[in-house]
Amino acid sequence: MMPDFTFATAQYDSGDWDSAPLVAANVIDSVARYTTIDVAPTGTIVPLGSRDLLKYPLVYLTGHLPVRFSEVERRTLRDYCARGGLLFVDDHNHDVDGQFHRTAWEELAAAVGPLGDLPNDHALYKSFFQFPDGPPTTSHELNGWGDNLVHKHLQAVLRGDRIAVLYSSKDYSSEWNYHPDNKRFLSVDNTKFGVNLVVYALTR
Amino acid sequence: MSPVQERVARIRRRFAMAVLAHAVLVAAAIAGMILVAGLVVDALVALPLVVRSAIAPLAAFIGVTFLALRGLPQLREVLTSPDEAVALWFERRLPALRYALVTSVEAPFAIGPAALAATVASAPLESELSAATRHALRRPALALGAALLVLLVVPAGAVARVGAPRAGDALARAGASLRAGADPLATIVARVTPPAYAGLAVRAVDEPSSVAALVGSRLRIEGNGRDVRAIVGHDTLVATEQGNGWAVEFAFPQRTTGVRLVGPRRSRVLVLDPVMDSVPSVRLDRPARDSVLRAPRGAVPLSADVGDDLGLANAAFEYIVSSGAGETFTFRSGHVAPQRFKAGARAGRLEGTLLLDTLKLGPGDVIHLRAVAWDRNNVNGPGVGASETRTLRIARADEYDSVSVDPLPPTEPEKNALSQRMILLLTQELEARRRRLPQPELQRESRRIAAEQTKLRKRVGEVVFIRLGEDNAGEHSHFAGDGHDHGEEGPLDAEQILAAAERAANADPTRMLEGEGDESPIVAINRPLLEAYNHMWRATTELETASPRTAIPWMIRAIEALQRARAAERIYLKGRPPRVVVDLARVRGTGKDRFAPAGRAARAPLDADRAARLARFDALLSGLAADPLAAADSLLLIRLTLPDEDRDAVRALDAAATAVRRGGEVTAALQRARRSLAGAAERQDGLRPWGR
Repeated sequence: MMPDFTFATAQYDSGDWDSAPLVAANVIDSVARYTTIDVAPTGTIVPLGSRDLLKYPLVYLTGHLPVRFSEVERRTLRDYCARGGLLFVDDHNHDVDGQFHRTAWEELAAAVGPLGDLPNDHALYKSFFQFPDGPPTTSHELNGWGDNLVHKHLQAVLRGDRIAVLYSSKDYSSEWNYHPDNKRFLSVDNTKFGVNLVVYALTR
Repeated sequence: MSPVQERVARIRRRFAMAVLAHAVLVAAAIAGMILVAGLVVDALVALPLVVRSAIAPLAAFIGVTFLALRGLPQLREVLTSPDEAVALWFERRLPALRYALVTSVEAPFAIGPAALAATVASAPLESELSAATRHALRRPALALGAALLVLLVVPAGAVARVGAPRAGDALARAGASLRAGADPLATIVARVTPPAYAGLAVRAVDEPSSVAALVGSRLRIEGNGRDVRAIVGHDTLVATEQGNGWAVEFAFPQRTTGVRLVGPRRSRVLVLDPVMDSVPSVRLDRPARDSVLRAPRGAVPLSADVGDDLGLANAAFEYIVSSGAGETFTFRSGHVAPQRFKAGARAGRLEGTLLLDTLKLGPGDVIHLRAVAWDRNNVNGPGVGASETRTLRIARADEYDSVSVDPLPPTEPEKNALSQRMILLLTQELEARRRRLPQPELQRESRRIAAEQTKLRKRVGEVVFIRLGEDNAGEHSHFAGDGHDHGEEGPLDAEQILAAAERAANADPTRMLEGEGDESPIVAINRPLLEAYNHMWRATTELETASPRTAIPWMIRAIEALQRARAAERIYLKGRPPRVVVDLARVRGTGKDRFAPAGRAARAPLDADRAARLARFDALLSGLAADPLAAADSLLLIRLTLPDEDRDAVRALDAAATAVRRGGEVTAALQRARRSLAGAAERQDGLRPWGR
C-alpha cells in the first residue's frame, strides 16, 4: 500500500537532475522526525514526462545545467500542476544570472505560467513551522557564493491561491544534500522548511 | 415576298419583343416580390444571416427559371409559328378583316390583289398589337413597381439585410430603431478590430452572448436608442451617441470578463473571451539527435521549420555551451543564423551551420542547441517558441576507449520507426481496399507486406544484438539480464529469443530507474526495441493469414515502442544516485526540536465549486419563465466562474444563454448546459492516492 507521502525527485531529459541525491533522505528524515505523516522511508525518481508524476503531491527538481523540457515533459508538468501537484524547483547554482535559472524560468513559463515573488507571509511559511521572515537563508547565500545575494523571496506560479510551482534561487539543494545521520551535528536543523513544503503540498 | 407578308413579318418581330418584355417583367416582379416578402418576414422575426443570405440568390434563381421555362418557349413559339398563325391571331381580334389577312398570306391570288390590299391596308394591325401588349404588361409592371416602391421606401440598411446581408447588420433591421425606443438593449452588435500586427479584418457579431477576440483587440458595442452605460470589470463607461443609436468602445481585456450593459429599463450581460496569440511552433530537423564528438572540429548543419498562427518576426538557432563539472560550471551562449521574416509570413525554413572550431570548446563541454522563433505580437508578446533541445558533448580523453564518435544522421530506432510507419501505411491502404480485392490478391499483397515486416524485424534484432556486443547474426546469442538461465550454455534459438524479449518487455519499466531489480541496464535500455521486436512478430503473423486489420494495432504498438527507444537514448544517465533508507522508527522516537504546529483547516471538497455552480443553475431555472432575459444573463454569469480549461461547459452555457435570449424551445440547450456543469470536474484520477 502506498504511503501518504513519498518524496519524488524529477528526472528530466536535459541537465544533471540527480545533482543532490541526499536531499530526499534528509527531508524524509525531517518529516518523520517532526510529524506523524505516513512517509515512505526512501525517495523515488520519477521521469518528468511520465504519467507516474501524477502520483506524487510534491516533486523536487534541481540541477546545475540548462533546463530544456521536451514537449511530453511540458505537457505532463502542465497536467500535474492543473491537477493540484506542487513542483519545487531549486537552482543548485544559487545564481539568478545562471543558465539553470534562465532556462528553468523560460521552461516553467512556457509549461505552467510566469513566476512571481511569493509574499513572505504566505501560508507556506506557516503550514507547520513558523517562518515569520519568509524563506530561511542558506549558508551558501550567507557565505556570498553564487550571485553573492541573499534572496528575499521565493518565486511561485499560483493556481488560485495554491502554489503550483515553487522556485528557489537559495540553493536548498546544497544546503540539504548531506546524510540525515549528520543532522545531529547541527545546532539548528536546517531542513525544517522541507517539512513545511511537504505539509503544504499534502493539505492544499 | 408580297407587301402583306412583309408587314406580317414586321409585326411578328414586334410581337416577339412584346413577349420577351412580358417574360422579363414577370420574372423581375417575382424576384422583387420575393425580396419584399423576405424583408417583411425579417422585420417581424429577425431572420438569421444564413437564411437572409439565401433570399437574393433564391429570388434570382426563380426569376431566371421563369424566364427559361416560360418566357423562352413563348418567344420561340412566336418566332417559329407560320405566318398563318400570326394572321389568325389578328383575325380573331379584328373580325372586320373577314379572313382577308389569312387569305392574302395563305393564297395571295385567290381574290383580286386590289381588294386584298385595300382590306389589309386598312386594318389597324399595329395598333391592335400595341393595345394587346400594353394590356399584357400592365399587371407585371404594377407588381414590379410595387416591389420597387417598397424597396425604395424602406431604409437602405434594412433592404441591404436581405439583398446583401453581412454580419453586423442587426441594427439596420426594419423596425429595429422603433423597438429601440422602448429598449436600447433589444439589439446589439459587437465589432472587433484585431490588433494591427495580426493583419486580420474587422469582424462583426450580431446579438452576441459572448465575444472571442485576440488580446489587444478593440471592441465596439453598438445599439439603437440612448442612455446606455457599460460596466467592464471595475470600470463604468458611458456610451456615446452615434446617429440614432449608442456605441461604447474599449480595449479587449486580457482575462475572461463579463460586461454588464445597463439601459434605462434593464441590463444585459456579455462575456468577453480573450484569445491568446499562439507562440510559434518550431521543429528542429538537424541535428537529428544528441551526439558525442571526439574533437570540437568541423561544422554542424542546422535546419528547422518554424510556423505561427498570425505571423513570424524572427528566428535563430540558440546555443549554450556549458563547461565544468560538479559544483563549478561556466556558460556561454549565442545565436546562429538569425533570420527576419516578411510581414504576414506564417511559415518558414531556418538553416545554418554551427562552426565548432569557433566556439573554443574543450573536453567535457556540452553544447545545448535549439531553434527559437519570435512572432509579431507587440501587444503582450512577442511570443517565443522553441524546438526540442539537442546536446552535443565533447568527449574527454579518458573516455576515448568507450566513446563511439557518431555522425549525425538519424539513429537506428528513428530509421526503423520510419520504416515501420511506411509498412503501417501500406497495411492501412490494403485494409481500405480489402473488400474490393479478390481473396488470392489480398493474400498475395498481405504476404508481400509481411515479408517487409519480417525484414524490418530482423533489422531491429540486429540493432539489439550489436548493442549487446555480439555478432549481428546474434539472434542466436544471449545476454546478461535477458532473463535467460545462464547456467544453460549454447546459443538461443528463435523461440528462446522471443521468450527472453517477452520477459524483458513485460517487466516493470520503472525497476531499472529505481534500482530495485537485478535487470542489467543494457537490457533496460534495449527493452523498447525488444518490445517492438515482439509486436512486429505478431503483426507478421496476422499478415501471413491475410488479416491486415488485426495486424495494424501491433504495428502501432511497434512504432510506439520504437519511439520510446529513441527517447530512452536521450535520458541523462549519470548512474544510480545513492539510495538512503531512513530508519523511520528511530527518527520518530527522537525529535530534536520542540515545535508548535500551526492550525490547519480541512481541505475543501474538490468539487465544491462545481456544486455551487449547479446550485446557481438550478435556482435560475425557477425564474426562467418569468424573466428569460435575466435568466440568460445569469447563465452568462455562471459561465464566467468556469475554469478556462472547461471549454465544453463554456460552449454549452453560451449556447444556452443564446437560446434563452432568442426564446422558443430551450430544453435541450439547458439540458446540455447542466450536463456539462455536472460533469466538468471528473478528471481527478491522479489525485486519489494522496487525497484520501
